[in-house]
Amino acid sequence: MTDNRSRCVITGLGMISAVGCNVGECWDSVLASRSGIDHTTTVDTENCYSDYAAEVRTGEWDNVPGTEGMDRVSRLCIKAVSEAMEDSSLGDFGGDSRVSVIMGSCVGGVVSVEEYYTKGKRKELIPQMPISAIASQAAGWCHAGGAVTNVANACAAGTISISYAADLIRAGKADIVVAGGADAFASVPYAGFTSLHALDANPCSPFNHLSGITLGEGAGALIVESYDHAVKRGAKIYCEVLGSGVTSDAHHITAPRPDGECQITAIRTAIKSSGITESDIGYVNAHGTGTAKNDEAEFLSLHTIFDGKNDDLSVSSTKAMTGHCLGAAGAVEAVFAVKALTENIVPPTLGFDAEDLVRLKERAGKLDFCPNVPRKKELTNVMSNSFAFGGNNASIVFSKEQGNVAASAEKKRAAVTGLGIVTPAGCGKEKYAALCGGSSAVSAGDTFRSEVGKEQYDELGLKMAFYRKLDHFSQLQCVSGMYALRDGGYEMTDSNAPMTGIIVGTSEGSISPVCDFEMLVAEKGNANGSAFKFPNTVYNAAGGYLSICSGIKGYNVTATNGAQAGLFSVAYAMDVIRSGKQKAMLATGTDENNDIMQELFDGLGLAAEGTVLPYSDGDRFTLSDGSTTLLLEDEASAKERGARIYAYAVGSGSANCGVPFGTVSGSEPALEKAIADALSDAGLTAADISAVIGFANGHKAVDSIEREALTNVFGERAKTLPVISVKDKLGEGRAASAALAAAHAVMMLSGEIAVQEYYSLESGRPAGRADTSEFRYVLAVSYGSGGSYSAVVFGREDK
Amino acid sequence: MNETEIKTKLKEFICSTLGVEADVLEFDTELFGDSPIGLDSVDSLEIIAYVDGEYGVDMTGVGKEHFLNIDSIAAYILANK
Repeated sequence: MTDNRSRCVITGLGMISAVGCNVGECWDSVLASRSGIDHTTTVDTENCYSDYAAEVRTGEWDNVPGTEGMDRVSRLCIKAVSEAMEDSSLGDFGGDSRVSVIMGSCVGGVVSVEEYYTKGKRKELIPQMPISAIASQAAGWCHAGGAVTNVANACAAGTISISYAADLIRAGKADIVVAGGADAFASVPYAGFTSLHALDANPCSPFNHLSGITLGEGAGALIVESYDHAVKRGAKIYCEVLGSGVTSDAHHITAPRPDGECQITAIRTAIKSSGITESDIGYVNAHGTGTAKNDEAEFLSLHTIFDGKNDDLSVSSTKAMTGHCLGAAGAVEAVFAVKALTENIVPPTLGFDAEDLVRLKERAGKLDFCPNVPRKKELTNVMSNSFAFGGNNASIVFSKEQGNVAASAEKKRAAVTGLGIVTPAGCGKEKYAALCGGSSAVSAGDTFRSEVGKEQYDELGLKMAFYRKLDHFSQLQCVSGMYALRDGGYEMTDSNAPMTGIIVGTSEGSISPVCDFEMLVAEKGNANGSAFKFPNTVYNAAGGYLSICSGIKGYNVTATNGAQAGLFSVAYAMDVIRSGKQKAMLATGTDENNDIMQELFDGLGLAAEGTVLPYSDGDRFTLSDGSTTLLLEDEASAKERGARIYAYAVGSGSANCGVPFGTVSGSEPALEKAIADALSDAGLTAADISAVIGFANGHKAVDSIEREALTNVFGERAKTLPVISVKDKLGEGRAASAALAAAHAVMMLSGEIAVQEYYSLESGRPAGRADTSEFRYVLAVSYGSGGSYSAVVFGREDK
Repeated sequence: MNETEIKTKLKEFICSTLGVEADVLEFDTELFGDSPIGLDSVDSLEIIAYVDGEYGVDMTGVGKEHFLNIDSIAAYILANK
C-alpha cells in the first residue's frame, strides 16, 4: 500500500464550462445529458464551415474580486480556483511557501491578443498575453508562495499539471498544490482549427461520427494535497491521486501516432505506477475529441490495453457536453472523473442515434462507451487521459483506495552531461566559450537576434521535410536540443527513448506566432487562417518538434513562468531524474526576439535601443534571445555509458511572492526563500557557494531585487562575492539567459571557462577576474514576472 | 494564364509558404510522403486553399494522384478552370 508520506489526495474541486459555472451545475448537466454546444456569436464566422462552440455564455460568474483587468482566461481560472479553495475550506494562503500553483493552458491570453490587434494597441493588454500570466495571477490572487508555473502542453496541459502537482508533493516540495487548467474561446483557436478542417460542421460526437471537434472553453481546478496535511487540518477528502504517465510521440506535430504506441505507454505507466492492474480500472474519462485520427488511435490504445484484461470497463468522452476545452480539458475532465468516482456514476458520451449505436457496438467490443445517458456503477479506480498537439500523452489515476504508489527510492544524482547553446553570438558551446574568453571574432551583433539555418540542420542531420515546418522559436529549440544530445554523446535507441524526457522552459514562448496568426485572421477573416502556421502557435510545438527530431519518447513538458523558466526547467528536470522516472532529461530555456517581440517590449517601455549593462539601474534592458539546453542524466546511467560529467545539479528551490503580473518590485523575499530552499535541498549553506550567476539586466527594479536578496542571504560576504552575468555580452534573453546561466555554471565548474570576470554587488561594476578552478559550488538564480524565482545550485560533486 | 506561369506561381507558393527550398523543387519533384520535400495533409490544406483562392478551382477531396507534383496540380487546375 502507498506509504502515507507518498499519499496525495484531492480535497477541493472547482470548474466552469459551457454546462455550468460551478461543479454542481456542471455535474447536474452530466446527469441530465445536457450539452453546452451552440452557435457562436462571439467570433467572426463568415465563410467558416462550422460555427459551433461550447462557450461560457452567462456573465454571472465574472465577478470574483481582484480579477479586474485580467484576460478572460485568467478570470475563468481564478473563478474555478476560488470555488476549489472554498470547497476545500481553504482561505488566503498568506504567502505560504508550501503552496504551489500549477496551471495548464494551450492558448493563454489570446483574447487580449485579439483585442490588441483589432481594437487599438492598448499597452495594458500586453502583459495579459502570455500563458505564464495565468498561474502567476492565480497565485497572486490566493497568495501562494511556492513554485508557480503554467504547463503549456496544449490539450494535455490540464492532466499534466495534476500529475506534476502530485510529483511535487511526493518530492516533499509542497503540501498543497492548486492544479488545473484554463483556456478561453477566441478567434485564434477557432480560425486555426477551421484552417485544419478539424472542426465538426455539427456538434462534435466523439467515438461516433469522427468528423471533428467542437471548441469549448472553461477552467478546472483541483486542490491536490499531501494526505498527512489534509488529515492534520481535517480536510474533506474526495479521493487519492495515484500514478500518472506522461510521454511524447516523436511522430507528428498535429497528428497522433496511428499505432498508439506512446499513448499506450502513458496509460500503462499510469496503471503501473499506481500499483494496480488493468482490471482495477472501472471508468476512463477518455480524450475522445471527435476527430478520426484521435478517436481511432484511442480506440486502438484502449482495446490493446484492456481487451482480455478488463471486460467491465466504462469509457466516455465528456467533450460532447463541454466541447474541447484545450488546456483546460484535462482539468475539467479530472473534476468529472473525481465526481464520477465519488458519486458512482459514469458520465455519458452524447450524440448516438439508433444507427450510430449499431456501429458503436462493432467498434467498442466489450468496452462500454456509456452512450447518451449516465449510468450508475460502483467505482473504485478511475482514469483520465489527455493527448495533445506536439504528440504529448498524459494519463492519471484517481482512486478511493490507497493504491500502491512506490515510495520514492533513494534520490538519484543528476549529472550534467551535455550542453547545447544558441545565442546571438552564434551556435554551439564553442562559440559561447570563445565569446566568454574575449575573442573579438565573436559578438552578439547589433540586433541581439539568434540565427540558425541550413548549416546547423546539415550538421545535425535534420532533413528539410522536417525543418521546413519550424517557426523561429522551434528552430532555436531544436538546434540547441540536438546540440546538447550530440555534445553529451547521447544516442537515442529504442530502449532509452522512453526513458528520456524534455522540459522546455520559456517566458514568452510562441507569442510571436500567435500574434502573427491573429494579424492574419484579423485582416483576412477567420475563414482564412493558415493550416501551416497554426500548429506553431501552440506553446509546446517546440518541445514536440524536439521530440520528433531527436526520437525522445518520454516525459515532455513545456513550463512557462517568465524568464526564470529556463532555470525552472533545470530544477524540474532534476526532480524527474531524482525520482527515477526518467534516466535522462533535456532541460531548456528558449525565447525569441523579432519585430513582434520588439514591439511588445517597446509597448511595455522595457526594450532599450543599444546595449544596457547589468546593474546600470536604468529603466530598460537590451532585448535578446536564444536557446540553451542542458542534458541532465542519472549519474549511474551516465557513468555506465562512460559519459563525461560536467558537473552536478545538486539543489533547487522555487518561490513566489505575488505582485502584479508584469512587475517584480516588492517580491525579493521570494528570491531569498528560493535560494534558502535550494541550499537546503543541496545540503549546503551560503558559505559553501563560490560564486553566483545573477539575473540583473540593467533595469533597476530587477537589479535591485537581486542586489537586496543576495545581500540578505550572504551578509557581509556579499561585498566580495563574485557575481557573474551572462547578460552583459548577450542582453536579456529571458528563459534563454536563465538556462545559459545554468550552462555557464557547469562550464566554469568543468573548467571550460577557466577565468571569469565578475561584478561587485556593491558597486555594480566589474570587480575582478576569478580562477574558476577554485569554485566548488555555483548558485544560479532567475526571476519571473509577477514575483516568482528559481534558484539552482551546481557543484563539482553531489554529496 | 499559361501552364508554365501556373507552375511557376505554384512553386513560389510552395517555397514561400511551406518552407521548401527552391533549389530542390522541380515541377516533377514528388511532393508528398517520404520524398525529400515531405509534404503532409496539413500542407495539402494550404495548397487547396491557395488553388481555390488563386484560380477558383476546388481541390477538396480530390484524389492523391493530382497532388503528386507541381505538374499534376497545374494539370488539374487547367482541366477544371
